[in-house]
Amino acid sequence: MDRTTCKKFKWFWAWNDHKEEEWLQQMSQGGWHLKSLALPGVYEFEKGEPRRYVYRLDFVTSANKDYQAYLQLFADAGWQHIGVLGSWQYFRIEASEGEQPEIYTDNSSKIQKYQRLMTYLVIFLPIYFIFMSNITNSEHELMRAIGVVFAAFMVFYAYAMLRILMRISQLKKQL
Amino acid sequence: MAKIDSYQKYLPLTEATYYILLSLVEPMHGYGVMQNVDTLSEGTVKVGPGTLYGAFSTLEQEKLIVMVKQEERRKSYQLTEKGRQVLRRQIERLDVMNKIGQQIAPLL
Repeated sequence: MDRTTCKKFKWFWAWNDHKEEEWLQQMSQGGWHLKSLALPGVYEFEKGEPRRYVYRLDFVTSANKDYQAYLQLFADAGWQHIGVLGSWQYFRIEASEGEQPEIYTDNSSKIQKYQRLMTYLVIFLPIYFIFMSNITNSEHELMRAIGVVFAAFMVFYAYAMLRILMRISQLKKQL
Repeated sequence: MAKIDSYQKYLPLTEATYYILLSLVEPMHGYGVMQNVDTLSEGTVKVGPGTLYGAFSTLEQEKLIVMVKQEERRKSYQLTEKGRQVLRRQIERLDVMNKIGQQIAPLL
């Protein structure tokens, strides 16, 4: 029996969203089209004819009161909304040969996308710090161990913020 | 002096913003604006939906445009008086640039 769907596990970092877009495009060229997103890193694909789909990821929270109007605008412009993962919105459009459709057509609006991502990370920062100070003050061995794991996570978190800032400054140089 | 300067901070407009504002001289929804920008600019400027959505929120915050109609999930916007003033000044600026440009062009 031919398989019509398949799941793939692949991890991408937020500052490499363009790599993820390219990968999804290559999958579609091979006849595997993104069907849904269940969890971070889990992609479900559907088998079909190879198509020249261009994928684009936007960062906009679905809790936005304007969210429906936002989706409508993309739909009117021919972009198909495939799914949401956190605040990452996955869109695709079929492109003709040599055409490279974009959802962001200038650098300043592209920068704003990464600035929204940064804001999101900064907002969650105090929560981590409160959690962190609670466990490091604890007498329990186990809690201390968790604290070490958590500290490692914090270092990574800082690294992620740094990479996104680098991406923003790289875009700013092209302004 | 103060009166004129209050509009200066919005200038110069980016090419995309310029064509978006020109389109909104009458009420228009998002996709209409995208098509209109393409036509007005003779295909030289394209506005993607992400860029346009961001531009709408920014321009609305700055009170240069206002939402005038909502049909189902489509919002239509139009220039405010402030938006008209800003656009008028941008056009004046372009006049100056174009006038001198036309004079110099034959020497190139």
